[in-house]
Amino acid sequence: MSASTAPGAPASGPIVELSAVTKDYPLGKLTVQALRGVDLRIERGEFIAIAGPSGSGKTTLLNLVGCVDVPTAGAVRIEGQSTSELSEKQLTTLRLHKLGFIFQSFNLVGVLDVFQNVELPLLLQGGLTSADRKRRVAEMVDKVGLTPQTRQRPNELSGGQRQRVAIARALVTRPAIVMADEPTANLDSGTGGAIIELMKDINRTDHTTFIFSTHDANVMGHARRLVELVDGRIAADHPVSEAA
Amino acid sequence: MRMLLLVAWRNLRQGGRRTLLLGLALAMVTGLLVFLLALSRGVNVSMTRAATTLSSGHVNVAGFYKATPDDVAPLIQGVDALRRIATENTEGLVRVLDRHRGWCKVISETSSMWVGLHGIEVSEEDALFEQLTMAAPATYVKGDPAKARPSEPRRLSEPGTIMLFRSQADRLGVQVGDQVTLRTETLRGQSNTADLTVVAVADDLGLMSTWAAFVPKDAVRSLYGLKADTSGAVYLYLDDIDRAPAVMAHLREVLTEAGYTVMDHDPQPFFMKFETVMGQDWTGQKLDLTIWRDEVSFLTWVLTAIDSVSFLLTGILAVLIAIGIMNALYIAVRERTGEVGTLRAIGMGRRRVLALFVIEAMLLGLVATSIGAALSATVALIIDAVGVPLPWTAARAIFMNDHLSLVVAPAHLIGAVAAFTIITGFSAFWPALRAARLPPITAIHQTE
Ligand SMILES: Nc1ncnc2c1ncn2[C@@H]1O[C@H](COP(=O)(O)OP(=O)(O)O)[C@@H](O)[C@H]1O
Ligand SMILES: [Mg+2]
Repeated sequence: MSASTAPGAPASGPIVELSAVTKDYPLGKLTVQALRGVDLRIERGEFIAIAGPSGSGKTTLLNLVGCVDVPTAGAVRIEGQSTSELSEKQLTTLRLHKLGFIFQSFNLVGVLDVFQNVELPLLLQGGLTSADRKRRVAEMVDKVGLTPQTRQRPNELSGGQRQRVAIARALVTRPAIVMADEPTANLDSGTGGAIIELMKDINRTDHTTFIFSTHDANVMGHARRLVELVDGRIAADHPVSEAA
Repeated sequence: MRMLLLVAWRNLRQGGRRTLLLGLALAMVTGLLVFLLALSRGVNVSMTRAATTLSSGHVNVAGFYKATPDDVAPLIQGVDALRRIATENTEGLVRVLDRHRGWCKVISETSSMWVGLHGIEVSEEDALFEQLTMAAPATYVKGDPAKARPSEPRRLSEPGTIMLFRSQADRLGVQVGDQVTLRTETLRGQSNTADLTVVAVADDLGLMSTWAAFVPKDAVRSLYGLKADTSGAVYLYLDDIDRAPAVMAHLREVLTEAGYTVMDHDPQPFFMKFETVMGQDWTGQKLDLTIWRDEVSFLTWVLTAIDSVSFLLTGILAVLIAIGIMNALYIAVRERTGEVGTLRAIGMGRRRVLALFVIEAMLLGLVATSIGAALSATVALIIDAVGVPLPWTAARAIFMNDHLSLVVAPAHLIGAVAAFTIITGFSAFWPALRAARLPPITAIHQTE
């Protein structure tokens, strides 16, 4: 039930740690306080849901963990490293090698087919031989059950299939942490459930840390830990029983 | 890189009408530039041909003779010795000849005009007769062309003969077999005349042929009362015309060494030097060495004009296209903000995003300009091969040819394609920079 440690990975400390994180957005003359003092420790291999009403700061929180933004105050640490202290280039490298992103609206590259979309992060990383890379992509595409659609473009796929491509793209680099911002919001509940199951499967077998946001009670039930945000503050943080 | 190319290429194809329009504009401007360059090169070739046929060798050993300080004639004495020295000291010489030079009035029954006389020895002018074509009587004969006598240029070996060009025959109202009178002034200021029979009328060779007429050497000698070992200029033809300046420089040394007085190089045709030499306070013989380009320097404005127009036109169009590309790419960047943000969020660096857009533009540039250049070159080659006649005298004069001559140089093709592809890339730079600077967070914001 508690977070397990991936074999071979450094065992010490939480993989993600937020301490006294605030995030302000300027809005004309006002500032919107999207996060107001969030403390959160996430251990390696967790499968954690961020819940909360619209505007509660879920996306903001994921963006901070996903290193596409930095906090106004406080610190976001990924494997002990504070993101505020990193350069744009270092953040890009971190995103490329340590993090995986799954977006609410999939955000696939429209002109590339399934295989190429999944291959993209590996090409950006470089380092693999062409054969290794192709094998990794094929494996990943197979894992999300899209082998028959390998050569199709996103616009030829259903919403659920697209989100599977996004998952494959996020996972193909074997990131330590995968962020998913309302990954099921654009899917019907059946498909959404299947997507969450898929993520959970991967979490179980690969010990990849998953952090996803949702305001769907069904989806929350799949999580092993639930963090509830209200007005930029953590209102509750508790384990979820497997029974759901 | 392969992926960037692929994404760029597919994005272009997705671009649809915008891509097509930009590509079309690029292709058209490149095509225009290639065509204008071919025209310029064509005129250049025609000019070279006309100059080295009518009034110059590749290198010329000419000179001025002053009987008194305030007199001047375009003469060299001891021409045989000069020819021998020049022949012995010119590397890559393929042909040597000498011609008398004169300036006189040609008078017909109905009209008259000034012409530059070239006194030739027919036996050494095979190349001249090869270059010239004889005019069809219908193009200049006033009466019934069927009754006109054919041109016989080789009859210039007979005394008392003259070969005119079509536009002159037209203006003078003469045809083969007619008499014309030449009237000139000798060194001593006396007027002299000679009656000659027109034996040939050649097709025009651009502007220069409007004032050139060919006669036997003897005709010039007797008009001016010159000795047998005089001439106007020794014309040297080389295997490689580009070596002309080097050959001239070498001959200058050799001739100076041999005791001749050689004037400083003045890159002008000989007839524009009269006034200068006239004002100089010396008598006797001085040599003047020139290359063919000097003898047509008064015509290079034509090339300059064509090149300037080409440059200006394509320059303005290039700026317009650059603005168009920038605009289109700014729009594309805005449209694809979400995509760019996504790519940044999954770990694509700024430089790669920049490259993505620049590559996209350059790919379009390369494809469009190549097509434009290839099409234009094909059209130019066809026009040149078909031999489209130039309908106006002025056009024939300016383009130095009686038909439109277009010469496509591979270097011009490559240059035009490269230039416009690079311009495209440069125009894409700022929009691409904007894309590269998009914060990755926009991916999430844009799509919500
Ligand atoms: N870029 C932004 N500029 C201004 N305000 C923002 C921006 N992003 C989010 N906000 C505000 O911050 C608050 C939290 O937003 P968000 O993190 O998107 O919440 P959630 O994802 O839970 O709906 C909201 O009030 C939202 O309006
Ligand atoms: Mg949100």
